[in-house]
Amino acid sequence: MLVPAGVLVLVILGAIAVDAAIAFLAQRELAGMAAAAANDAAGAALSGPGFYEAGGRTELTLDAALARRVVDQAVAASPVRGVEDVTVDVRVTASQVCVTVSGHVPYLFARAVPGAATGTTVTGRGVATTVEGPPGAAGASATGVC
Amino acid sequence: MRAALGQRGQIAGLEAVVFGTLVFVFGTLLVANAWGVIDAKLAAASAAREAARSYVESSTSSEADGAAAAAARDAIEGHGRDWDRAELAMAGAAFARCARVIAEVSYQVPLIVVPLLGQHGTGFTVSAQHSEVVDPYRSGLDDEARCGG
Repeated sequence: MLVPAGVLVLVILGAIAVDAAIAFLAQRELAGMAAAAANDAAGAALSGPGFYEAGGRTELTLDAALARRVVDQAVAASPVRGVEDVTVDVRVTASQVCVTVSGHVPYLFARAVPGAATGTTVTGRGVATTVEGPPGAAGASATGVC
Repeated sequence: MRAALGQRGQIAGLEAVVFGTLVFVFGTLLVANAWGVIDAKLAAASAAREAARSYVESSTSSEADGAAAAAARDAIEGHGRDWDRAELAMAGAAFARCARVIAEVSYQVPLIVVPLLGQHGTGFTVSAQHSEVVDPYRSGLDDEARCGG
């Protein structure tokens, strides 16, 4: 009986690995979504009229309400399949935007085990800074806004 | 001297070894295929992200579609996957300031993959989406940025 018992243990460990991979994959996708949404907001939430009237020679600031709208559009445009109850938090300072996306990920195999957790909550976060200059120009430190 | 013709030396429970082997084979196939779906999802997500990014970073609208397809193909093949099983769809793809572009990559995962014997069955389709906004203040495009609407 040791052989089937050992094999079953092996299969169960494999199932745990798959469930953990599903959660990790969802976390990566949420992080990618948050980064893309923050990147969109850092560009699209600039005060356009102010920017053009000053000829681009003004301090770059973000519109918090517009940033929130852009982030919501970004999240709605590319939903992550397999993630439920997605919540989005947006924080804006003068030129930085921090987007935090959280959601519940149901497990695939663990649901078949009575008493085991049916899923887990994962979080992805992205920070973007609006800077003036050519692509690749160094921006301010991204710490603190979140 | 007696010939060993009887079954007195037979170990009972040989069927358990057969059963264990079957559990091992089918269990390994199940877990390996579940992992294959996850791996394909990773590849599709990478391809969608690269396609959307390449589209909005293109110099002109005529180059954008080709750049997106090339980036998606590179991403899929970089994950060791077959581009012929993948499909790229660009939605809302207007090449203008503030325009939102959505790239969706679908990948057909075979039902069973057996080393040396190849892939069998149509299996599952995994897909991933990624959206990006064309930079409102980039060069090379006409008109002013109007993202507030």
